[in-house]
Amino acid sequence: MELGLTVAILGGALAAILGGIGSAIGVGLAGQASSGVMSEDPEKFGSLLLLVALPGTQGIYGFLSAFLVILKLGLTTGTIVTPATDQGWQILIACLPVAFAGLVSGIQQGKVCASGVYMVAKQPKDLMKPVIMAALVETYAVLGLLITILLLNGIKLG
Amino acid sequence: MALAEVEKVQILTHASLKMELLSSLQEEGLIQLERANFEELDLSASSPEISQIDYRLHRLSHALGYLSMWEERGFVKKLFAQRPQLHRQKREEVLNFDYISVLEKIEEIEAEKSEVLSEIKFLEREEQFLFPLRNFKVPIKSLKPTDSTEILLGWIPLSQLVAFEKMTDIEPLWYEIINRGKRSVYLVLIYPKMEKTRFEHEFKELKFAPLFFTDPILNIADEKDGVEDVIQKIKAEIKKKKKKLETLEKKGQSLFINREKLMLIYDVLLNEREKISSSRLLGETERVSYLEGWARSSDIRRLKSKLRPFADFIEIYSRPPLPEEDPPVILENPRLARPFEVITKLYSLPQRRSLDPTVALAPFFFLFVGLCVSEAGYGLLVALLSFLYIKYAKPKGALLQFLKLLSLLGVSTVIFGTLLGGWFGFPIRRLMILDPLEDPLTFLLLSIVLGFIQVWFGTLLNMISRIKNKEYIQAIFVQGGWLVLLPSAVIYGITKQSLWGIFALFGAAGIVFFAFPSRNPFARFFGGLYSLYGISRYIADVLSYSRLLALGLATSVIAMVVNTLCQTALGIPWLGWLLAALIFIGGHLFNLGISFLGGFVHSMRLQFVEFFSKFFEPGGKPFKAFELESKYIEFI
Repeated sequence: MELGLTVAILGGALAAILGGIGSAIGVGLAGQASSGVMSEDPEKFGSLLLLVALPGTQGIYGFLSAFLVILKLGLTTGTIVTPATDQGWQILIACLPVAFAGLVSGIQQGKVCASGVYMVAKQPKDLMKPVIMAALVETYAVLGLLITILLLNGIKLG
Repeated sequence: MALAEVEKVQILTHASLKMELLSSLQEEGLIQLERANFEELDLSASSPEISQIDYRLHRLSHALGYLSMWEERGFVKKLFAQRPQLHRQKREEVLNFDYISVLEKIEEIEAEKSEVLSEIKFLEREEQFLFPLRNFKVPIKSLKPTDSTEILLGWIPLSQLVAFEKMTDIEPLWYEIINRGKRSVYLVLIYPKMEKTRFEHEFKELKFAPLFFTDPILNIADEKDGVEDVIQKIKAEIKKKKKKLETLEKKGQSLFINREKLMLIYDVLLNEREKISSSRLLGETERVSYLEGWARSSDIRRLKSKLRPFADFIEIYSRPPLPEEDPPVILENPRLARPFEVITKLYSLPQRRSLDPTVALAPFFFLFVGLCVSEAGYGLLVALLSFLYIKYAKPKGALLQFLKLLSLLGVSTVIFGTLLGGWFGFPIRRLMILDPLEDPLTFLLLSIVLGFIQVWFGTLLNMISRIKNKEYIQAIFVQGGWLVLLPSAVIYGITKQSLWGIFALFGAAGIVFFAFPSRNPFARFFGGLYSLYGISRYIADVLSYSRLLALGLATSVIAMVVNTLCQTALGIPWLGWLLAALIFIGGHLFNLGISFLGGFVHSMRLQFVEFFSKFFEPGGKPFKAFELESKYIEFI
C-alpha cells in the first residue's frame, strides 16, 4: 500500500480516536455525577440525560471527519483514490484540529456538565443554564471541526 | 418590543370585606400583591392561621397518593391525560362534599393495611425460625422443665459438635440432634436442674445458642402440635392475612371514584391557604384594610369593574411607579414573537425601562436554528409532532409556548433544509441555492455576514436605549461611532475606496474622544484608545457565528453517513432491507436529536453571549400574579 494512503487513513483514524476518547471521558464524568444524583432522586433521569449526552458531540465530530476522509479516499466505493505521500500528510494534518480540540474540550465539557448535574440536583428549574455553560466549551470543538472540514475541502486529490 | 406598563394599585376596604376582596382578586389574577409599608403608615399586620388548613392539605395529598395506585397507566395515556376542570366561581360548592369521611376511610384502610403487613412479616420470620426444627415431633407445649430437670432447645456451630459429644460422654446429660445443617446443628438438651449454672456455663463455652418459642407461636399451637404442625398453622394464618390485604385493596379501590373530587378539593383548599396566608400582606386598622400591589396598566379598568360589587365599601387608587420603586416586569410581544419569550426568560428578564429583546432576537433565532439543523425532513417531523401535541394534548403555559417555538423552528428548518441541505440526507438539487458540502466558503461567508448584521443591530439597540435614558453623548458618539466604524471598515477593506476609510476614521474618532469621559485629556485620550481596542471583541463575536456552518455541515454529513450505511446494508442478502430500514430510522432519529439539541443550544448561545452583551440589561423581577394555582385540576 502507498505511504500516502496509509498516512491519510491514520489522519481519519486519529480524528475518530481522539474525539472518541474526549467524549468517552466527558460522558463518563457527567454520567457518574448524574448516577449519584439519581440515587437520591430517580425522577431527574430525563433532565440529567441531556447534560450527560452533551459531551458526546466531540466523538461525533471526530467520527464525521473520519468519514469525510473515507469519502475523500473512496474507501467505500472500491475505487480507492491513492493520494501522493505529501497529500497523505496534508490529510493527516487537516484532521488534527478536530482531533485535539475534541479530545480536550470533550473532557473539559464533561467536567462542566458534571458540575451542572449537581446544580440541577439543587435547582431543577435552571436546567438550561449549565447546558449553555457546556455549549461555551463545545465552541472550540465546533471551531476545530470547522477548520478540519475547510482544510479537507481544500485538499484536492486527483 | 417594549415592556408592558405597570401601575401601582392601592385599595382601601372595610376590614370585614377583606377575605371576600382577596377572594375575587385571586379569581381575576390581575394583581401582584406586595407588602404594604406598615411602619410608615402606622398600620398593624395580621398574622393568619394556616396550620389547620395545612394539615388538611397534607392528609389530602396523602390520600391522593394512595388512590393513585389505581390510576390508569401507560405512557401515551399519561401524555394526553386531561386535567379535571372546575369553574372558578363554583369553588366553594366543592367543599360541601364530605371529604373528611373519605379521608378517614382511606386512613383507616391504610392503618389496617400496615398492621396486617407487619403481622405477615412477623409470621414469616417465625416460620423461618421454626423451619430447621421441623423434624422435632414432640408437642412444643410439653417442653417444660420438671422438678429435677431442665430442657433446652438450641443450636451449636458444626465445628463444636465433636467437643460437645465429648462433653456428653462424661456429663449426666441427654440430648438429641433434631437437624444437622451445613454450618449448625440443632439439638434438644435435658440436664439436671441442680447443676444448672455449671451446665449453662459449659454450653456457653461451646457456643450453644438457645432458642425459645415466642408467645404468639405458643398461642397458635395446640396441646399436641409438633413444630411441623405449627408451621402449617402459620402458613394458613399468613394466607388468611393476605386474603385480608386483598379485601382491603378492594375496599381502597372502591374509593377511587372519589379521587377526582379530592383533587378538586385539594386545589380549592390550596388556594384558600394561599389567600389566607397572603392576607398578612395587608395593613390594618380597627375598621380598614389596606392592600397594595402591581397591575398592568391595561388591566386596571378591568380590575375596577370586577370590584364594582364592593363599590360602596372600597376605594381604589392607581398611579405609575415612582423612580425609586422597583416594579415587576411583564413582557408584551406580538403573537408571532411570543414563543421566543422562552429564550429571553431563560437568560433573565430585562430591567425596568430597558428594551425587551424578544422581537429583536426572534428572526435571528428562527434563522440560526434553521441553518444549524438544515435538514428539511427533521424540521417537518418536529413541526408536525409539536403541532399534533398542541392540538390533542392541549398543554398550557410554558410548555405550550415552548412547543409553539419548536413548531416555528421546525418550519424554519424545512425552509433552510430545502434551500441548503436535504430531505433525510437526499438533497433536492433543483430547489437548492447552495450546497455547503461543495462550497463551504460561501456558506461560511453567509454565516459571518449574518453575525455581522446581528452584532451591528445589537449595537444599534444599545444606542436606542441610551437615547431613551438621555445619555446622548454616549449614544451618538460612542455607539454611533461603532455603528459607522464597523461597516465602513469592512467596506474599505474590500473596496479600498478612501471615502470609506474616512468614514471609519470618523467613527473611531468618536469612540476615542468620548468613550472615556474624564476631565484629564490624557486619560481621556488613552482611555478612549483602549475602548477602540474593543474592536477585537467585535471581530471575535462575528467569527463566532461560523459555528452555523459547522453545525449545518455536521447534520448533512451525518445524514449522508446514515444513508451510505443503509446502502451497504442493502447489499446483504435476505435481511438487508430490514437492516437498512432499521439503520435509516434509528440513524435519522439520532441525528435529529443531536442536531436539534446542538442547533437550539448554540443558537441560544449566540443570542446570550454575542447579541445580548451589546445592549441587554438583565435583572428584572418577574410579575407574579395573585391568582388561582392548581396542582391537579384546571380552573376555568
